[in-house]
Amino acid sequence: MATDKELTDFLKSVEKRAFKRTVYAVRDDDAALDIVQDSMIRLAQKYADRPAAELPLVFQRIMSNATMDWFRRQKVRNAVIQNLSDFDTGDDDGDFDLLELLTTVEGSLGSESAADTVGREQILLLIEKEIALLPGRQREAFLLRYWEELDVAETATVMGCSEGSVKTHCSRAVHALAKSLRAKGIAP
Amino acid sequence: MNSTVNRQAAEAERLEARFGLRLGALLNEQAARTPHDISERLRVAREQALASARSSRLLTASTDTVVGNGRSAVLGRLPGWLFRFASVMPLVVLVAGMVLIDEWHDRAQIEAAADVDVNLLADDLPPDAYSDAGFVEFLKEDAQ
Repeated sequence: MATDKELTDFLKSVEKRAFKRTVYAVRDDDAALDIVQDSMIRLAQKYADRPAAELPLVFQRIMSNATMDWFRRQKVRNAVIQNLSDFDTGDDDGDFDLLELLTTVEGSLGSESAADTVGREQILLLIEKEIALLPGRQREAFLLRYWEELDVAETATVMGCSEGSVKTHCSRAVHALAKSLRAKGIAP
Repeated sequence: MNSTVNRQAAEAERLEARFGLRLGALLNEQAARTPHDISERLRVAREQALASARSSRLLTASTDTVVGNGRSAVLGRLPGWLFRFASVMPLVVLVAGMVLIDEWHDRAQIEAAADVDVNLLADDLPPDAYSDAGFVEFLKEDAQ
């Protein structure tokens, strides 16, 4: 059973990321705060007796469900599905050289030259904006894998899909982000 | 040929992971700049969650104590089947008691009727006298 301190530490460590992730999804600070608060309370009431090691996965699952519930209530799920299909149609870029682009973009992030031209804070805001523009499933997979640092199996459990789907979503998200960031001038 | 493709796929996957983790680190940096009012609201939400965790733990603990004490005070640590049997016992005792009370009441009525019969038969006055309206009236006046 997680102690009060373990639960406090865990919630402290995830609350800001959880808020940001939810903002990317729902694009509304107040709604995101409500979702995070509901998720925290649900975790505390129903799963506080779980070992501390299980809390991250359970919390991510609760967050995902709470966000989905919010979308259901807002009746915007169709718009999300539309976004997914929009992205799929634009994925067949024959001139897209993945290795070259990833290498150059990855090398440019956080470098002095980029910071000099745009400003680090602006770059961060731009990255957030581009992440928020990702289709929902891709964004969720990307953030769970590379921000929450869950492994593929854990991400699949949280998202309720196969590991193959997680890999596909993550890969597409990385490609989309790399392309869009380069288009915004972050890549050289 | 296959090994080249596999190597390229592995390299792409590795680069994707590096790129993703690098972006994740930048997102952490941005998350740390969360405005004060949002941070405060998150703190309040966290404290509310912790309070509800404490109250639900207390509720669970007090329920366990009541059940545990109930068992230990009355019956001690009994096996499940014996505990169920012991739970049914009061009901059995209650039903048996009601049957006994009914039986005792019937016997008491029979004995009272028998006493009346005995007294009537043993008395000098013939039982037919009680069907006489004048004699009944006499008894009423005598009682007053």
